[in-house]
Amino acid sequence: MSLKVGIDFGTSNSGVAVYDGQHVRVLPVDPKNVQPEVIKTVLYITREYRSYLGHEAAEAYYRDNVNRQRRFVKQWAGEIDYRGADMHYVRDIFVYVDELKPGRLLQYLKTALRKEGYKGTQVFERFYTAGDLAKTYLSLLKRRAEDVLGEPIHAVTLGRPVKFSESPEQDQKAEETLRQAAHEAGFKEVDFELEPIAAALYYEQSISQSQNVVIFDFGGGTLDIAVMRLGDSNTRKVYASGGVDIAGSDFDRTIIEKRMLPHFGYGLVKHHPEILEMIHAIPDWMALPELGTPINRTVLDKAIQAKIAPVRLKALRELIYNDLAFTFYNRVEAGKIALSKESATVINLEDKNIALWEMYTRYQFEADIRHYLNEVEKVLLDTLANSGLEPGQIDAVVKTGGSSNIPLFTEMLTRIFGADKVKESNALSSVVGGLAIKAAM
Amino acid sequence: MSFTKKIDEWMKEVEERPESAATIVRLAVRRLRDLSEQNEELLAENIALENGTRVDEYQKRITHLEYQLDMLKRRFGMDGSKLDNLPIAEEITSTLNLLVYNSLGRIFRVELDADVKEVGTLTGEMITDHEPPRLLAVTSNENLLLLFTSGRVETYLASDIPMMQLGGTWTWEHAALPSEPHAGEVLACVIPFSRLPLSDFFLQVSRRGFTKKGLTSLSESILNNHFIGRGAVHKSDQPLDLTLSRNNDLAALVTYEGKVIAFDVNDLSYTTDERIKLTATDYVVGAFTLPANSYVLCVTQNGKVIHRESKSIDLAKSSASKGQALIPPTRLEQGVRFMGAAAVQESDQIAILDAAGRINIHDVSAMMGSGSVSAEGWTGVAVSMGLIQADGRERRVES
Repeated sequence: MSLKVGIDFGTSNSGVAVYDGQHVRVLPVDPKNVQPEVIKTVLYITREYRSYLGHEAAEAYYRDNVNRQRRFVKQWAGEIDYRGADMHYVRDIFVYVDELKPGRLLQYLKTALRKEGYKGTQVFERFYTAGDLAKTYLSLLKRRAEDVLGEPIHAVTLGRPVKFSESPEQDQKAEETLRQAAHEAGFKEVDFELEPIAAALYYEQSISQSQNVVIFDFGGGTLDIAVMRLGDSNTRKVYASGGVDIAGSDFDRTIIEKRMLPHFGYGLVKHHPEILEMIHAIPDWMALPELGTPINRTVLDKAIQAKIAPVRLKALRELIYNDLAFTFYNRVEAGKIALSKESATVINLEDKNIALWEMYTRYQFEADIRHYLNEVEKVLLDTLANSGLEPGQIDAVVKTGGSSNIPLFTEMLTRIFGADKVKESNALSSVVGGLAIKAAM
Repeated sequence: MSFTKKIDEWMKEVEERPESAATIVRLAVRRLRDLSEQNEELLAENIALENGTRVDEYQKRITHLEYQLDMLKRRFGMDGSKLDNLPIAEEITSTLNLLVYNSLGRIFRVELDADVKEVGTLTGEMITDHEPPRLLAVTSNENLLLLFTSGRVETYLASDIPMMQLGGTWTWEHAALPSEPHAGEVLACVIPFSRLPLSDFFLQVSRRGFTKKGLTSLSESILNNHFIGRGAVHKSDQPLDLTLSRNNDLAALVTYEGKVIAFDVNDLSYTTDERIKLTATDYVVGAFTLPANSYVLCVTQNGKVIHRESKSIDLAKSSASKGQALIPPTRLEQGVRFMGAAAVQESDQIAILDAAGRINIHDVSAMMGSGSVSAEGWTGVAVSMGLIQADGRERRVES
């Protein structure tokens, strides 16, 4: 029998589900996780090219990297041709490589697919394109799901955002890369469904009569909106769909930029461009791990000796050279999530030379991300206008995805549609559940 | 952003959602408590700096480090001027030696050839004070620590012990006596201790399975006073071994009646504690640190070899453990007992002294492969064994 599953390959979290015609079963693919049905979209590749995903990846990363030794060696990286009017010479380029680095942790794999100009990354001796990373992750995820089900999986319905990118070419390219990655991961048949529509299919299971529904799928990487007629498979219709590249990872970045950078010297360091460059790279999850070079270390050591913001720069040195980036981003994300329920939280990070403590209130968070609210509201109203429906004609607004729980956006939906219409779907499994339903159709 | 501005923002949160006041106060109080504790520690540190006790402490540490440096210099056989030109790779200036010693403090030293299998033959009394002779492979420039059953310690350079001829026949009367045991004590063990500066703890093990951990930072006082303690509680018990270990090392004990136990050195207390519950007739025959990916190799009195991967040995958390049985009950009834044990790698070798006094060297891989000790003229009774690590082999002299 050919088994087909739905996979939500999310920016922050992923999931696998099957549908037997009556019930959706979200598979416990990450048994070590607090919620085994949700698996973090992180991949850890060791020097021996062994790959781990989810909780195991984070565990292996912490086990191998934190407080480890480093040894930088100069390695030939290539050559550059210099051409002038009457001269031409070739110069060797060397880079410093940490030869004791045991592995690389990779996250935001989905963002890599849609990021324009992102070719891939070097993992020790091998170059991994965005597609290779997605393939590695999907093949491991497939194996996990097969272990749970006890039978091979042949086909998959993958979720995709309404827009991978604003550029149609990039959007098409991202989908094709993901399709190819899924094929290479071992899925013989691969098809796609828009994530908000998948969430709609999941929601449809819980209603008994036809409704006009707005799906507000606000996750880690993108906001996807669909305005649909649901309730009867014969009259099911997508009136309009829309989306924008704003989501949880942007909020994390904003928190870091506005609240965390002063802990690493921002505002105190003025005339040291190399150090400022390092500080400004902190919010960039791809750039931060690359800062750990001997040259940067010398720059920081000298600045600390010269008493230029020594406490903050020691913290920066610790963040870069003790592989604390992953922990740091996780703490920021956890603080953000906590503010969906609490009115205040603490983002802290303690290590040998870091004593970061920041009380962060919902008021501050809302002030920091308010500029995104206008953009999100605009996309929502545009999509609604494209559907030809008025807010009063909408019967239900279904929120899904982690960021949809942020009170600022819930208030916006309540203001536009009315509190009684805003419904919360299972934030982390409605998309994957809908994809499983679509897979079974 | 100034702290005042931050406080203003917290106040705005309270104005907007008054119920958040409790959370904010709770978080702020928690932070205040932590900071107050930190402040207390810093004030104490400040006082220590002001009244000079911290300076004394650092001076002691410097003295200790200087002592360790001196030990390292001796180990590598160099003076101060050579230190500046310290090669990245260790220069091999020493040779691999095998020490054979008995409880009366008599020690033979023999330099091992590259391919030697038959080291030599002991004649005369084999068992002294109920203890068989023991074998220890060390480098020729090693510092030796002699531990006596009274808890007394003496140091000695391996190179100061006269060399015996390889393959010869030796009698104990010709052996060196670097430090004669005092009345009422015998030599418990000899350990190489050049690695002292690289170690964190002394680990003492007694015959009845008691352990005691000591900080190597106290080595200066131990060596000056020539006393480390017995590491045994009962009068009838006596020290068996002393090893150097590092933080997070695992250690293992193997007993005569085939029990093995592994434990984390960090979990040990600095007092003498019972680590394994032994029957009245049982006692420890092997105590060693247990590196990851090694094997515990045990040799029975009739030359059979039992080995287990180190990871298969359960870590004992409590001192009430009776250990894991390596000898099946039926074999135990037949009288099978362990003569010795060691943590080995497949590339290591083992020197074995048999009942006829012959000392032969055996490859661990062959021993594990065949499950027994085999050598020409093998008497079938093993008396003592000593580990020769693979990394020491390159120090062997060319034959």
